Amino acid sequence: MANVFPSWVNRAPLRIIGCLLLVVGGVIAGITYYMTPKWARVGYEPVQPVAFSHDIHVSQVGLDCRYCHTFVDRSEHSNVPATNTCMACHSMVQTDSPALQPVRDSYATGEPIPWVRVHKTPDYVFFNHSVHVNRGISCVECHGQIDEMETVSHEKSFSMAFCLDCHRNPEEHIRPLDKVYDLTWKPESKKAQLEMGEELVQHWKVNPPESCSGCHR
Amino acid sequence: MKQQMNNEFKALEGKAGSRYWKSLDDLAETPAFREWAEREFPQGASEIQGVNRRHFMKIMAASFGLAGVGLTGCRRPKHEILPYVKQPENIIPGVAQYYSSSRPTAWENVPVVVETHEARPTKIEGNSSYLAGGGATDIYTQASVLDLYDPSRAKRNVRGSKTLDRAAVLDLFSEWSGQLASTKGAGFAFLAEKSTSPSRRKLVAALKKKYPQAIWAEYEPIDYSAADRAAETYWGQPVRAINDFSKSSRVLSVGSDFLGKDPGSTEYTRAFSRARKVENSKQANQMNRLYVVEGDFTLTGAAADHRLRLSSAQQEAFLIALAQELLRLGATGNGDISGLVRGMPVDESIPLDWVAACAKDLNEHKGHSVLAVSPGAEDRVQWIAYFINELLGAPGTTQSYLKIPSSSAVSISDLAVELKAGAVDKLFILGGNPVFNAPADLDWPLLQQQAGEIIRFGYWNDETSASAGTNILLPHYLETWGDGETMDGTLVPVQPMIEPLMDSFSELEILATLCGQKETDPYAIVQQTYAERSGNGGAGFNTFLAVGILPESGYDQVKPSAAGAKVVSAINANPAPAAGVISAKNLEVLFTPSYHTYDGRFANNGWMMECPDSMTKLTWDNAILISPRLAKELQKETGYQIFQSENVMTETGQLQRNSAQFKRGREQALVAELTVNGTTLRGPIHVLPGLANYTVVVPVGFGRDICGPVGQGVGFDAYPAMTANNRWSTTGATIELTDDVYPLANTQEHWSMEGRAILREGTAEEYSESPDFVAKMGMESHSPPVYGNAKDMPLQQKVTDIPIGGSLYKTPDFTAPQQWGMAIDLNLCTGCNSCVVACQSENNIPIVGKDQVLRGREMHWLRLDRYFASREEDDTGIPEEVQVSFQGMACTHCELAPCETVCPVNATVHDEQGLNVMAYNRCVGTRYCANNCPYKVRRFNFFDWNKRSDGHFYEGPLGPSGPAKPIKMQKNPDVTVRMRGVMEKCTYCVQRIEEAKINQKVKARDSGDIKVPDGTIKVACQQVCAADAISFGDVSDENSEVSQWKKSDRDYAVLGYLNTRPRTTYLAKLRNPNPSMPKKYRYEQPFGRMDYEERYGHGSGHGDDHSGGGHDDGSHKDGHGDTGHDSHAGDHSEHNAHGDSHAH
Repeated sequence: MANVFPSWVNRAPLRIIGCLLLVVGGVIAGITYYMTPKWARVGYEPVQPVAFSHDIHVSQVGLDCRYCHTFVDRSEHSNVPATNTCMACHSMVQTDSPALQPVRDSYATGEPIPWVRVHKTPDYVFFNHSVHVNRGISCVECHGQIDEMETVSHEKSFSMAFCLDCHRNPEEHIRPLDKVYDLTWKPESKKAQLEMGEELVQHWKVNPPESCSGCHR
Repeated sequence: MKQQMNNEFKALEGKAGSRYWKSLDDLAETPAFREWAEREFPQGASEIQGVNRRHFMKIMAASFGLAGVGLTGCRRPKHEILPYVKQPENIIPGVAQYYSSSRPTAWENVPVVVETHEARPTKIEGNSSYLAGGGATDIYTQASVLDLYDPSRAKRNVRGSKTLDRAAVLDLFSEWSGQLASTKGAGFAFLAEKSTSPSRRKLVAALKKKYPQAIWAEYEPIDYSAADRAAETYWGQPVRAINDFSKSSRVLSVGSDFLGKDPGSTEYTRAFSRARKVENSKQANQMNRLYVVEGDFTLTGAAADHRLRLSSAQQEAFLIALAQELLRLGATGNGDISGLVRGMPVDESIPLDWVAACAKDLNEHKGHSVLAVSPGAEDRVQWIAYFINELLGAPGTTQSYLKIPSSSAVSISDLAVELKAGAVDKLFILGGNPVFNAPADLDWPLLQQQAGEIIRFGYWNDETSASAGTNILLPHYLETWGDGETMDGTLVPVQPMIEPLMDSFSELEILATLCGQKETDPYAIVQQTYAERSGNGGAGFNTFLAVGILPESGYDQVKPSAAGAKVVSAINANPAPAAGVISAKNLEVLFTPSYHTYDGRFANNGWMMECPDSMTKLTWDNAILISPRLAKELQKETGYQIFQSENVMTETGQLQRNSAQFKRGREQALVAELTVNGTTLRGPIHVLPGLANYTVVVPVGFGRDICGPVGQGVGFDAYPAMTANNRWSTTGATIELTDDVYPLANTQEHWSMEGRAILREGTAEEYSESPDFVAKMGMESHSPPVYGNAKDMPLQQKVTDIPIGGSLYKTPDFTAPQQWGMAIDLNLCTGCNSCVVACQSENNIPIVGKDQVLRGREMHWLRLDRYFASREEDDTGIPEEVQVSFQGMACTHCELAPCETVCPVNATVHDEQGLNVMAYNRCVGTRYCANNCPYKVRRFNFFDWNKRSDGHFYEGPLGPSGPAKPIKMQKNPDVTVRMRGVMEKCTYCVQRIEEAKINQKVKARDSGDIKVPDGTIKVACQQVCAADAISFGDVSDENSEVSQWKKSDRDYAVLGYLNTRPRTTYLAKLRNPNPSMPKKYRYEQPFGRMDYEERYGHGSGHGDDHSGGGHDDGSHKDGHGDTGHDSHAGDHSEHNAHGDSHAH
C-alpha cells in the first residue's frame, strides 16, 4: 500500500511541539518580564501637576526631608505636604512664578493639588515608614537618589524580593540615625558598611520580620 | 402514631445527658447530626446552589468578557494623592486617634474610647479610666458604631412632602417656640426616651418652668425603673442600690440578669469576676457562690452554682419564704416589715428545703452576701428584696445606696389620657419608636392621631416616622455633643467623632431652641453643665474630655433607713395578683429584650443580627422558647414531632412531615401560636432546656414593619402582647402548634467538636483537694507524650525551642524575641458574646445573612461554644435540669499546626513569633486547611461578602456591587478586607501586635530596647471582656500575665493529645456547689464529668498523668515519656485522628 502521508509528516509532531514550546516559552518570558514589578514599576515617571523638583529643594536649597514629609518618622504613611506647607515659603519666594500657579490656586480655592502617585505598595502590604527611618534605613534605600531627581521616578522594583533582600541582610543597608536624612551620605566602602552594619544590627537588636505577618495583615 | 413516638423518645432515652451536648439533636446523636459533625463544611456549604448550568455558563462568559476588558489593567492605573490644603491640627495620616466619649442608654452612659482614622470612627472600646468598667463594654456598645454608617438611616428633614434645609428647620423651631410661649405650653406634649444627661435634665426643667402646661413624658419599652421607684417608697427618699459583687462571697439572684442584659451588667460582671477568680488551688475555697432562681435561662443562670427553675410568678413567694427563713435564723431588719413578713402565708409550691439551705449559707456570710433582683421586677418584689438585703447586712457592705435626682416625667399612660381627652395639639416624639413598641393596650398608632400634629425627631425611617407629618433628624451619638452619667452618677461626656453625616439636630439643641434659650450650641451647654458639676468654674474641661470621666462626680452615698410603716401599708395596698397555678393551660410568658436587637433598636444592625444568641445560638430570628417538659407534653398531645428521632424517613420512605429537626444543621422549627392576653403571636418554637416548665420566653424587638433591609420582617413582633401593666411577664397564655415548619438559622451545631474532653470543669472543693484534676481528664493520660523527653522544660524554653517530642515533623523556628500566647479562664467567662462582636468590628468580618448562615457559612473568627450537661439520674429522656458552660474558640495558633502541613501553596505558615498566619494573597481556596483543623476555626469566603449584598451573592460580577458606601467607612484600615475564595481565621489581632512592636522600635531608636512591655497589647476580645477572662501576651517572658496564668494547674490545651501544641490554652471552669444542699440539688461533680470518666477513665490508673499540649509548668510526672511509646507515634496519631480511646 502506498504511503498515505508524505514522509515529512514523520517530523511534523516534533516541529509542532517545538513551535508550541517556543510560543509558550515566549509568552511566559514576556509575561515574566513585562508584568513583573521590575518592568511595570521601575522607571515610572508621570507628569505632575506642579513641576516640583526635589533637586532644587534638597540639593540646592538644602531642605530636610521632614520639612515637607512631616510625619514620615511618626506614621506608617509619609505624607505629601499640604498646600500650606508650600505656601509657607512660596508666599514670599517666587510669588509670580507661573509654574506655581496650581499651588496658589489650591491655596485660594481649598481644592487639593492632584499629585500623581509614583510609589505604591499593593493593598495587602502594610508598609510602615516610621519604623524604617527611626531604625537607620534611609529614604534612598527604597526611593533612590530622590534628592537629585528633577521629577520623581520609580527607581527600585518594590517587589517582595526587594523587601526581603534587605530584611534578610539589614547590615548591608543600615546607617547611623543621624545619616538617615542625609541622602548624599555614602559608606566609605562596602566593607566599612558591613562592619558598621553588623555592629548596629547587633547593638540595636535589629530583627526585621521575614515572614508574612510582618507586612500582610 | 404511638409506635413512632416511642421511637422518638427512645432516641433520647438512656442518653440522658451525662455528657456535654450542644443541642437535643446532638444528645440524641441523630444521623443528621452525625453527618453535620463529621464534615468540616456542611453539605451544601461547599456546593453551588441556586445556580443551574445555563446560568453558570452565562456568568462565566460574562466574566471572561470582563477579563478581556480588564487586560488593560496590566499597566498600573494612575493614582492621585490628594493632600490636605491646610493641614489640620493633630491629624497624622495613617495614625489612629482615640477620643473619649460615652454611649447614651436609657439607664446609664457607657464610657468609651473611640478609635478614629482620619476622623472616621471605626471601633469602640471601653474607657479604662472608668474603673468600674475597666475598659470593657457590652455587646450593644460594640455594635453601635455600625449604626452610624447604616446606609438606610433617615437622610432628610421632611415636613409633609417638603424637604427642609437647616434654616427652614430652625425657622420651624422658633415658630413652635413662639407658640409654646403664647400658650404657656398648653396643647404641647413631648414623648422622649429616658436619658441620663444632666444637661437634658436641666433643659427639661427649664422647659417645664417656662411652659408649665406642656406635658413631658418619658417611655422605655424595656423598663428598668421599678427598682428606683420602689426604693423611693422603701427608703423614703430617691436612692439607688448598687450591688458590689466583688465583696460578695455569696450571691443570690432572683429573676435578675446582672451578668447579661440588666443595666450596669458590664460593671457587675467585672466585680463578680473578681470574686470568682481563683488564682491557685489554695484560693479555691475563697471563690464566690452564686445561687440563681429564674424562669428564663439567662447568662446569670448559666453562671450559677445552684440554679432553681421557678416561674417568675412564684418568685415573690420564694422571696417571702427566704425572708421568713432568714428571720428564723435570727437575722434582723426593720421591725414593722419583719412583723408583716412573718405573718405572710407560705406557698407550698416553693422547694422550702432549697430555700433553707440557701438562706443558711447567705446568713452565715452576713455582710458578704447580697440578693439581686431584676431592676424591672414589680414593686412588691423590690420591697421584699430590699428587706432581705437588710437582713443580710448588705447595705453599707455589699450594697451601697446613692442619692439620685428625682424625675418629674410622666409615663406614656398618663400622656395617653391627655391624648384621649384631646388636650394635645402638637406631639413631639423625641427618639424612641412608640408606634412599634408602645404598650399594646394603648393602641398607640391610633391614639397618637388624636394629636393635632405629630413631630418626630428620629434617627431611622421607622414605624413612627411613617406616621408623623414632620420628621427631623437626630444625630448618632458619635456625631454630636452631649453628656450623661454612669450607673453611679459619674459625669461623662459625649463627644462627636465625625462631622454629622446628615443635617441633624441634637436633642440638647432642640430643647434649648424650643426653650428660647440664648445658648443653643450643644457644646456650650455641655461645657456649662460641666462647670456647674465640677464646681471649679469650668476649669479643666479639656482634661475632662481627655480622661472621659469626671472623677468623684458620682451621686452622694447615703445610709437610708427603711420607712417601715409606709412599706407595710404599701405592700398591703398592692396585693399580689392571683396568678393561679402555672401549667400547660395557664402558661407564663416572659418578655425579654433580645440579645440581637435589644428592644428593636438594633434590628438593622447586621452584626447584632448575626451574632448567635448566647443561649439558643439562634441568628436572624427570635423564637418562642419553651421548656422540654412543655415540648414533650405538646408532642404527646398533638402528635406533632418536636424532638428528633433516629428515623428521619417514615416506613414508606417519605420524609417525615412537621418534624422539628436539624436537617444538615438547619433547625426546622414548628410554628406555634401563642395566645397571650387575647393576642395571638405566631412564631417558630425552640426548645431551650433549663426553662421553668411552664414558662415561655419571647424575645421582643423583632418583626419590624418599617426598618432598613437588614431587619425588616425578620422574626415576629411580640410587642402586641405586652401591655402597660404586664411589661415583663404575664400569665394565662396558651400555645398551639400549627402545620407550618420554619427554618431557624441556628449555629449551635456548626463547628462541633465531637465531645472529647474539650471542656473541663470541676468543683472548687475538688480543686483544692486535688489541684491536678484537670490533667487527669481526657486523652492526654493515654496518648503518647507530645513533648517526649522535653516534658520538664519550662514553658519559656518550650515555646522557643519547640522540642520535637514524639513527632516526625520538623518543628518551626521561633526566633523572634517575643512569643505570643493566650489563656482563657473558663471560670470567668459568662458567655456574653461581646468578644464576638468586638472581633467582628476590629477585623472587618463580614456578615453573610440568614440564608448563608443556614448553609453553615458564617464568618465569625471567634465563636462561643455553649455546652449543656445534665445529670445521669435525670433519665426522663429529655433533660430539664442542665448546667451550661461556655467556651470561646478561635484559632489556637498551634505551634505544630495541622493546617500548615496540608496547604499546597504555603498560604498558611508560621511566623517567627509563634503566630499561625494567613497570607490572603497566596491563598487559592483549596480549603484543605479547614478540613485538617481539629478546632474547626477556619472560615472560608464562599462569596464576596464585602463587595456584594445579601440576595445578590450568586450573581457574581453581574450583580450590583454593594454594600453601600458608608458601610465601607467602618472598616479598619489596618486589616485587609478579604475577597471571595480565600480562607481566614483569627490572627491574634496581628495588626495590634505589629503596631505595638513598631511603636516600641520607634521609641527604641538606636537602643536595643525593642521588647513590647507586658500589657501594651490588648487584643480585641481581651479588651472588651468585662470578666477579664482573657489574657494575652509574651509567653517567652515568665513574668508576663499570660505566663502566670499558664502556670496554673487548671491550664489545659484543647485536644492537646493531637500534638498541636496550641498557643491558646484554657483554665478549667470551677463550680462551687453548696455541700449542705438537700440531696436532690447537691452535686459532687459537674454534670458533664461522667462522660469523661467513662470514656477516658480518671487517669489515676497510671499513677501519673501527662502534661499534654498544655503549657503547664511541666511539673507533672510523665509515665509514658519513654521511647517505648514514642516508637508508636505514627500508630497512635492515627488512632487519635479517629478519636478512639485506647484500651487501658
